[in-house]
Amino acid sequence: MLKYIIKRLLHMIPVILTISICIFIIIKLTPGEPVGNQLNPKSTAEERAAERIRLGLDKPIHIQYLDWLGRTLRGDFGQSYIYKRPVKDIVGHFVVNSFILNLGVFFLTFLISIPIGIVCAKKQYSKTDNFFSVFSLVGISMPSFFFGLLLIFALAVHFKIFPINGMINAGSETQGFERVKEVLHHMVLPGIVLTIGSLASLVRYVRNGMLDVLHKDYIRTARAKGLSERKVVYKHGFRNALITIVTVLGFWLPGLFSGAVILESIFVWPGIGSTLVDAVNGRDYNLMMAIMLLFAILTLIGNLLADIGYALVDPRVKVGEGNS
Amino acid sequence: MKKLTSLILTVILSITLFAGCGGTKDKDNDTQPTNTTTNEAEKKELSDTEVIEGSEEAENAARKRAGAADTFIVGTSELSGEFLPPYASSTYDNYIVNLMFDGLVIHDKEGNYDVLIADSYEVSEDNKTYTFKLKEDLVFSDGTPLTAKDVAFTYTVFCDPAYDGSRNEAGNELVGYDEYHDGDADHVEGIKVIDDQTISFTFKIAKPNHIEKLAYGIMPEHIYQYEKGKSTEIRDKMNEDLFIGNGRYNFVDYEEKQFAKFESNPLWFKGEPNIKNIIVKHTTVETMFQELEAGTIDFQTRVPSKEENKQQIENIGCLNINSYPDNGYSYIGFNLRDDRLADVKVRQALTYGFNRQAFVDVYFNGYASVCNTPLSQVSWAYPPQDQLNKYDYSPEKAKQLLEEAGWKEGSDGIREKDGKKLELNWVTYTESKFVETMIAMLISDWEKIGVKVTPNLVDWSTLLDIVYYTGDYDFDLYNMSWSLSIDPDATEIFHSKNDVVGGFNSTGLHDDEIDRLLEEGCVEFDPEKRAEIYQEWGLRMNEILPYMYISQSTEWDVSNNRVKNLDISPYCDWVYSIENLELEAD
Repeated sequence: MLKYIIKRLLHMIPVILTISICIFIIIKLTPGEPVGNQLNPKSTAEERAAERIRLGLDKPIHIQYLDWLGRTLRGDFGQSYIYKRPVKDIVGHFVVNSFILNLGVFFLTFLISIPIGIVCAKKQYSKTDNFFSVFSLVGISMPSFFFGLLLIFALAVHFKIFPINGMINAGSETQGFERVKEVLHHMVLPGIVLTIGSLASLVRYVRNGMLDVLHKDYIRTARAKGLSERKVVYKHGFRNALITIVTVLGFWLPGLFSGAVILESIFVWPGIGSTLVDAVNGRDYNLMMAIMLLFAILTLIGNLLADIGYALVDPRVKVGEGNS
Repeated sequence: MKKLTSLILTVILSITLFAGCGGTKDKDNDTQPTNTTTNEAEKKELSDTEVIEGSEEAENAARKRAGAADTFIVGTSELSGEFLPPYASSTYDNYIVNLMFDGLVIHDKEGNYDVLIADSYEVSEDNKTYTFKLKEDLVFSDGTPLTAKDVAFTYTVFCDPAYDGSRNEAGNELVGYDEYHDGDADHVEGIKVIDDQTISFTFKIAKPNHIEKLAYGIMPEHIYQYEKGKSTEIRDKMNEDLFIGNGRYNFVDYEEKQFAKFESNPLWFKGEPNIKNIIVKHTTVETMFQELEAGTIDFQTRVPSKEENKQQIENIGCLNINSYPDNGYSYIGFNLRDDRLADVKVRQALTYGFNRQAFVDVYFNGYASVCNTPLSQVSWAYPPQDQLNKYDYSPEKAKQLLEEAGWKEGSDGIREKDGKKLELNWVTYTESKFVETMIAMLISDWEKIGVKVTPNLVDWSTLLDIVYYTGDYDFDLYNMSWSLSIDPDATEIFHSKNDVVGGFNSTGLHDDEIDRLLEEGCVEFDPEKRAEIYQEWGLRMNEILPYMYISQSTEWDVSNNRVKNLDISPYCDWVYSIENLELEAD
């Protein structure tokens, strides 16, 4: 198993290099540049030319890429042009904010949606099942923009249970545990919006995965053996349905670190989503490269984890033994 | 709208931000007209700055907020943490800078400059040297005395070879800038410390607007000192949130994309300001009204001036709208390099042929006026209204002018001349309601006069590339807006010498008259003569139309009516008189 993981990790290196070249070329071919993006008529053409040289933008694209690669391999992601700070600090700072929110949503979603999905599959076409089917459709199709504003209006402005937006109160000087409580309090509304959105789709995944399994012959066999319904569903059924869930889990990993632009804007949540949009609009090459590459790597790791997960839950998948 | 605002903000910004004050007239019952069409005589003067008041009786949550009596919470767009005078580039960061730092001089309501931390200043015979005498006993907020050395230090930052802020103009016109910036001089010759209280600045060329460049806040040398060529170390200190100033408020805390917090400075040279705490909070257009209603903010800057927003504000009840004309304008630029558009009659025809008033009414609901020359209506340089050609919508006049210019209607309804069709390629930017509204109206209006226009939407950075930086000028029309500084000089944008790749004369205007007036204007010291020059320039710009000027909009800052003594006008934002502010609370 360890050998398999190492092999997969090594395979990732050329993939990441290829991805980085693709991203680099695409963002360099986009018209527009960081220099002069803030239209300032007091800046002269010579000053901008000097600035381009300072940033190395006058060099041919392959040299720029190699410069970037060299720096990156040494752990230096460069300076952000719009934030005027090391890219590492910015990405670290905002990714953590997004991660805090997403992690809460992640656990909540899985904790709620797996039991619901199983119940729905068990009682297919029952009232419960129909209710959650409709609920899923509504959840998937409800714009987070609208739902978020609705929640703010009801729970923050009218009933004043939760704060309207932000991650902490404006001007707050809380420390330690108090700060944690404050952040959790601020997380509730954006958390609900995100959870409802992803809950809906995950319930569908679990339900369909379970239904698939419950119609299999071995389930009938298990029932015929006289096993209790509990055992049939949870031991024989659920374990097999886990394969679907593991695939979804793999896809979710990069999602944990990414931000939702609209949601961040409504709830003034200082996450990575709006940072990436700023980076793209401002043609902040270093920052764009760092964020996109981070997502690419997370996607690859997500896939790897999913594959390892298959091996754990699915006895048919054998790794490390003579697979080429 | 957010896009449009940010768009306007990305533009000029330099000295604009050190804005001044204008007279505030309270007119209780005078609401903004919703329809400014027809009767010229009744048209409201847009240069009016006014407060549209809410009701004192209305439910007011902010009054009951904990700590409401001594904490003023301001909602703005995102801050970027560049809170030092040489580096702040957004309007919002400049609010913070002006809270924490005072400069030698500051402008007043009309945009004239007067001393602030200087006691007096003298200008030499040749108008090149400015000598300042500082006030006695000035200190920074950490208690250290502020001397002429700190002033010299601050201005040397702008000249440093590694300086990467956007305010080069504050240094590069000083004597000795090149020797310091590009050579190995160890100080800038034009900045002279005469004694602890006296400092002089000498400029290469005498210009009437040099004084604006001497308004930047003074930074303490002992905090921010660095070796020549290493001014980026200041950025490191800024990133560590190290801010020591000499202004009305002291820095307390900054949480990125959340808020910045300040406390009144007991050592401020005019005495501690009234309000103890100021919090500047990041708000977004989606929830700013909810925040105003819930009382989590007392003041919101730059609320888009739209009818639907006015409705919301009125429904909340306890809010005042501080309304004032924006110091800037939007326009469509013509590419004069194109033979078709080089003819002034065609440009005038296109201007007559677009119902700009209808556009302004539809998009701004009357909270804007049609613009006819590239000057702010509040500026002393603005020509007399009655001498300006208003280009009121007239398809007949437009057709007549096109006929005169030799453009005859072709079989497909599009005018042609010498085998060329009047089909125009308009590059514009995406994600803007402003543009979306204009597209439909411009296409249909111009269709009526036999002109076809095709909008080509690109993102903002790409548009800048096409219009300014590549030098291909692959467009017939483009649209953008400028925000203006107090000084009307527009050499960068309209002088023929700036029609170069990377220059800002992107329409390719070459007009001897304009060049002459711009050159005279920036070296004329007599204010009256200077005003005459720019007024003449404004009239000429109104006649030759390198741009089709579109609109000058109204800006709104919305405040809770528990905030008293707020005085806001085009040159003068909420920070300007913050020390006099008073808060009412329950």
